[in-house]
Amino acid sequence: MSGRATALVKVLFVLLLSAGCAERPAERGPITLVLKHARILGPADPFPPLLREFEAAHPGVRVRSEALPWGSDEQHQFFVINLEGRNAGFDVMMLDVIWVPEFARAGWLLDLTDRVPPHELAPYFPSAVAAATWGGRTWAFPWNMNVGLLYYRTDLLARYGLRPPRTWDELVDQVGQIRASERDPRLDGYLWQGKQYEGMVVNALEALWAYGADVLGADGRAFPDPDRAAQALGFLRRLIETGVSPAWTTAADEELSRRAFGDGHAIFLRNWPYVLDLVEAPDSPVRGRVGIAPLPAGPGGPGAGSTGGAHLGVARSTAHPDLAVALARFLTSEPAERALVRATVYPARTALYHEPALVARNPWLPRIHDLMLAGRPRPVTPSYLLLSATVQPEVSAVLVGLKPPARAIADARRRLDYFMASRR
Amino acid sequence: MTRRQRADRRQGLLLTAPTMVVLAALTVYPGVWVVWLSLQERIPIFDVARFTGLSHYVFLAGDSRFWNATRTTLVFTIVSVALELVLGVLVAQALVGQRRARHVAFSLLLLAWAMPSVVTAKLFEWLYHPTAGLLNVLLGGRGYNWLGDAALALPAVILADVWRTLPFVALLAYARLLGIPREVYEAAQVDGAGRLATFFQITLPMLRRVLTIAVLFRTLDALRAFDVMFVLTGGGPAGTTETLTIYAYRGLFQMLQLGFGAALGVVVFALVMATAWAYLRLLRAEDAHA
Repeated sequence: MSGRATALVKVLFVLLLSAGCAERPAERGPITLVLKHARILGPADPFPPLLREFEAAHPGVRVRSEALPWGSDEQHQFFVINLEGRNAGFDVMMLDVIWVPEFARAGWLLDLTDRVPPHELAPYFPSAVAAATWGGRTWAFPWNMNVGLLYYRTDLLARYGLRPPRTWDELVDQVGQIRASERDPRLDGYLWQGKQYEGMVVNALEALWAYGADVLGADGRAFPDPDRAAQALGFLRRLIETGVSPAWTTAADEELSRRAFGDGHAIFLRNWPYVLDLVEAPDSPVRGRVGIAPLPAGPGGPGAGSTGGAHLGVARSTAHPDLAVALARFLTSEPAERALVRATVYPARTALYHEPALVARNPWLPRIHDLMLAGRPRPVTPSYLLLSATVQPEVSAVLVGLKPPARAIADARRRLDYFMASRR
Repeated sequence: MTRRQRADRRQGLLLTAPTMVVLAALTVYPGVWVVWLSLQERIPIFDVARFTGLSHYVFLAGDSRFWNATRTTLVFTIVSVALELVLGVLVAQALVGQRRARHVAFSLLLLAWAMPSVVTAKLFEWLYHPTAGLLNVLLGGRGYNWLGDAALALPAVILADVWRTLPFVALLAYARLLGIPREVYEAAQVDGAGRLATFFQITLPMLRRVLTIAVLFRTLDALRAFDVMFVLTGGGPAGTTETLTIYAYRGLFQMLQLGFGAALGVVVFALVMATAWAYLRLLRAEDAHA
């Protein structure tokens, strides 16, 4: 064989060798379950002790917890890529509630209907159960819970003898009254999330509900009542136009608005319950001066916060379905969700919100319970992300004043119609 | 060609063959596959997989969001590359004149270039903070709504990108400037050329070649820009910073409309290929001149 042919053979050999190395040896020894979840912020990570407890109760089983990427978009992308392959590499996964129907429709989740009798779901918030149910079947265990609510400065309202606003008109009036008297140019009125992202869609939904409109109709069309929807979006735009909300609302996410409110620079804030622990922290400038209330009512309906949170689902590709279901059930059991409260995450089980020991630590719990009970889930549909991604730039265009509401709604409907037609 | 040359050539081809095969497998195959995908309706979670021909392209032709993303991509590319070019040459020129601060300046430039773009974007997110951002404080406490204003968001994103990639142009230009013999400048001085004349008559022509390459690289990068806007604005407000790649990402990974997303990918691909082809022709024409 000539010299160069030998060289070629060597090169190919090395290539083949490196390809062979990529294959993993078969697993041996104890069974390992992999739990994929987002990191939990807060004083204590509840996972490690819970997982050790599960392992102690199941000899021969080890649980490895793996953290998901930070952002919701990246988490979704991670799941889509890994679950579309045959072996996902994890058994139990944390799911944003808006993904459950999509993943169920895709066949990525283990159908839990036969393993989870209806009475087992009774202790959870109804809207959390609704978000875990699709096509009449159960796909996940509700785990933690979120709801949009109104924060207000008790000191400022008390100074002018005001009660928390029950309608949006009242809120606008109160902002005008307080700001006119306070004469503090740095004091903003009402803060919310208007950046072009999922959080903005949540805020828009809450406005739509207050105007008796919705984002998705029973027929699968976007904005089934376009006139009312236009009024709702017009109202949000007016908040910015009239200065009730600052101009930078169009760049605000949860944290940007939370910080401004937490620094004492706003009267009202729409946000999730996690803000409570931060505004009540020892070094918070507004400690002891913050109250919570339901979102105000609009001309077309009572105020309702959008619910959110995370569920635990089981990958259909799991090699150990019984153990994986046992792990998900254990992590959503009452003792495990009690551990969540200590980590300042709000559980999906209603009973914990009235448990004296927990209420003593967090006196807001019963109040938050009521708000969560009144909350509404976002549309429970496998096409939710398609809906959100289509609606986002249009709603944002209304908020920054680039498009009149009616045109933005017409544009969103046209685009969504095209995509929805392709899904049939 | 002598026998020896021919033998060398054959051995060269043989030795590069494995690389070529791997490259083809990694680029040509996925490329063809994406084009094929873009001609289909493919939504795995809805068990949809059917051939639809050019329907995605027809829809895109009438889709205002697509044309908006195309315009954003082009504006972003042209403005950011132009700024990088002008500022990069100025920085290189300034570096050559420096003695003591050169090392410090060099390190700082490399730092900006070496930083992951997501980190850069996060940094700028703080600079652009509407109430506490350094930029607004420096501007006298004016409350510019950098990332939430439809007119300011794209310039803000461009500025962040220029800051990040200017060092690339500056360092290339700097290296070339070091290679220009002093005698050339001295001769110009003797001839009575001023600083401006020297720059335009000597420095710039000498830099021309390396700048063409730098612009080629930067343009192809900018046409596919994704991370800076993804982190800073997510494409908002009102889609004013949504590039074609961001739209493609939304189509592929969020809407899970794989055929539709692939069609957007093909458009980006065509845009990049057309630009690369135009540049290469330009380079070849220059070679013929030289």
